[in-house]
Amino acid sequence: MKKESIVSKYDKTILKIKALSRERESVRRKLMAAEKKLFLKAKQLTTTAKEEKCAKNKLTKTLEQLRRKAQQFEAYIREKEDVRHKLVATEEQLRSKVENLALATKEKESFSCKLTEVETQLHLKTKNLEQIKAKDEAIISSIGDGLAAIDENANITMVNRAFEKMLGWKEKEVLGKSIYKILPVVDENGKEVPKSKRLVTKVLKEHIDIAAKVNYLRKDKTFFPVSTNLSPIAFKGGFIGVVGVFMDITKEKEIDRAKTEFVSLASHQLRTPLSVVKWYSEMLLSGDAGELSDKQKKYLAEVYKGNQRMITLVNSLLNVSRLELGTIKIDPKPTDIVKLAEEEITEFKIQIDQKKLKFDERHSEGLPLFNIDPKLLRPVLQNLFSNAIKYTPDKGKISLDLRLVKRGKLAGNRKVNEDSILIAVSDTGFGIPKNQQNKIFTKLFRADNAWKKDPEGAGLGLYIVKSILDRSGGLIWFESEENKGTTFYVTLPLTGMKKKEGAKSFS
Amino acid sequence: MENKTKKKILIVEDEESLRNVLRDKFLEEDFIVFEAGDGEEGLKAALREHPDLILLDIIMPKMDGITMLKKLREDDWGKEAQVILLTNLSDNEKLSEALAQGTYDYLVKSDWKIADVVAKVRERIGD
Repeated sequence: MKKESIVSKYDKTILKIKALSRERESVRRKLMAAEKKLFLKAKQLTTTAKEEKCAKNKLTKTLEQLRRKAQQFEAYIREKEDVRHKLVATEEQLRSKVENLALATKEKESFSCKLTEVETQLHLKTKNLEQIKAKDEAIISSIGDGLAAIDENANITMVNRAFEKMLGWKEKEVLGKSIYKILPVVDENGKEVPKSKRLVTKVLKEHIDIAAKVNYLRKDKTFFPVSTNLSPIAFKGGFIGVVGVFMDITKEKEIDRAKTEFVSLASHQLRTPLSVVKWYSEMLLSGDAGELSDKQKKYLAEVYKGNQRMITLVNSLLNVSRLELGTIKIDPKPTDIVKLAEEEITEFKIQIDQKKLKFDERHSEGLPLFNIDPKLLRPVLQNLFSNAIKYTPDKGKISLDLRLVKRGKLAGNRKVNEDSILIAVSDTGFGIPKNQQNKIFTKLFRADNAWKKDPEGAGLGLYIVKSILDRSGGLIWFESEENKGTTFYVTLPLTGMKKKEGAKSFS
Repeated sequence: MENKTKKKILIVEDEESLRNVLRDKFLEEDFIVFEAGDGEEGLKAALREHPDLILLDIIMPKMDGITMLKKLREDDWGKEAQVILLTNLSDNEKLSEALAQGTYDYLVKSDWKIADVVAKVRERIGD
């Protein structure tokens, strides 16, 4: 038995091992299955755990979301509250705004009413002003004198109807145009006066008033004389132009011309027979027509004297006439008055020597040339000298004083009111009686004592002298005492005589 | 008789009595005298006789003194002729017209002695 037993045991063991192995296998398979199951279960668990976790997460998330949503909701609610509050506030505002609007509308309506009122008033006032303006324009338009206004650039801004009529221009043709082109000024011969010499240019530059007589050229190139006044126009403290008013003086000029021609002609006609008597008397007196007896000479001398008086009278009347017509022209030029006075006194040398008069002349040192018209100053000096000599007895004294006197200083018994040239002529003559002194400068007046001493005078000399000085800006006065003497004072402004246009010179 | 040549003088004056007395005086003073009664005559006489001096009135018929003077000055001899205006006008317009024609002198008749007129003439022509 030993091998069979070992085989059998072995077989048995193999059978046992096989059984064991099968068991093991089955256990293993069971284990494996169980493992698988476990595994699956583990897997499931994991999944479940995962799912749980997921779910948990989701829950948390959802919770979160819910929490957030809750928060949001709260926020929304708060916002809503806010908004509601705001809405309420806005509503309030709106309400008050509506109230305001209502008020404003009421105000607007009342303003509207007022506006309409104001508008109506404005309208009325404008109409009024327009009427006034129209009336003013009608006034300006209707004034008989011509009127033209220009701006600072000499362009015409206004003219009236008289302007249109006198010059032949229509208003619309001249507005805005230059006055120099539309209204030229010409001289007596029709030659145009240049712009620089025109008065309107002077007024535009110096803003002064000027009055003058000139000739205007019409549109049709004919011209006529006018008397014109130019004035600067001031507006709100500034200078805005010039206004000129003018009138046609053709008639006046003709009358003036006729007057002066008459005077000229009359004096010429009067002088002719006077010259005849004069020269024939002279011929007779000088023996050219034969020897005369003493008596004949004496009588003829009277004829001659009488004739001379008439000649002097005619001369004086001519001058007076010219002075009164205002046609004497004053033409000042720089003059040496000392020399002039000396020339004039020389003319009287014969009489001075004849009457054995003493002549004394004084003048300030360095007297300048003065703007004087010598043709007018000569007769003044001649007259004063002639009177001094005539009315001073033999061996008397005559003095001449030429000097400058400053404003406010005395000349004789009078204070001068501007810097002046003084001419004083004094004599130791018969003087002028107190009760006749106020008539000394009147026409044809002669004081009683003058008449007695010299019956030949016409009484026009001092009238002429005063007229000359009146017209040239000078003054004359005198101091006199009967039987003591007289001093005549003549002053002229230091600036000289004023220039004056005129037809005639002094004769 | 002196040996010097007598001076010739022309008197143009429309007033007969004045012309006569002037002629008489100048003849006495040893001048040769020509006369004319108006500007026309005066111009002819001046151009014909060529006087040393012309005494010329202004207001005259036919042709006045100013016109005669202007015409005289257009002549070659007349340009230089010596003229003294003898007038009773003291009308400056006319006189300045005349002076513009170069006369240098005007005398107002009624203001001048006849002897002084002769003296003036002598002065002018250097006699």
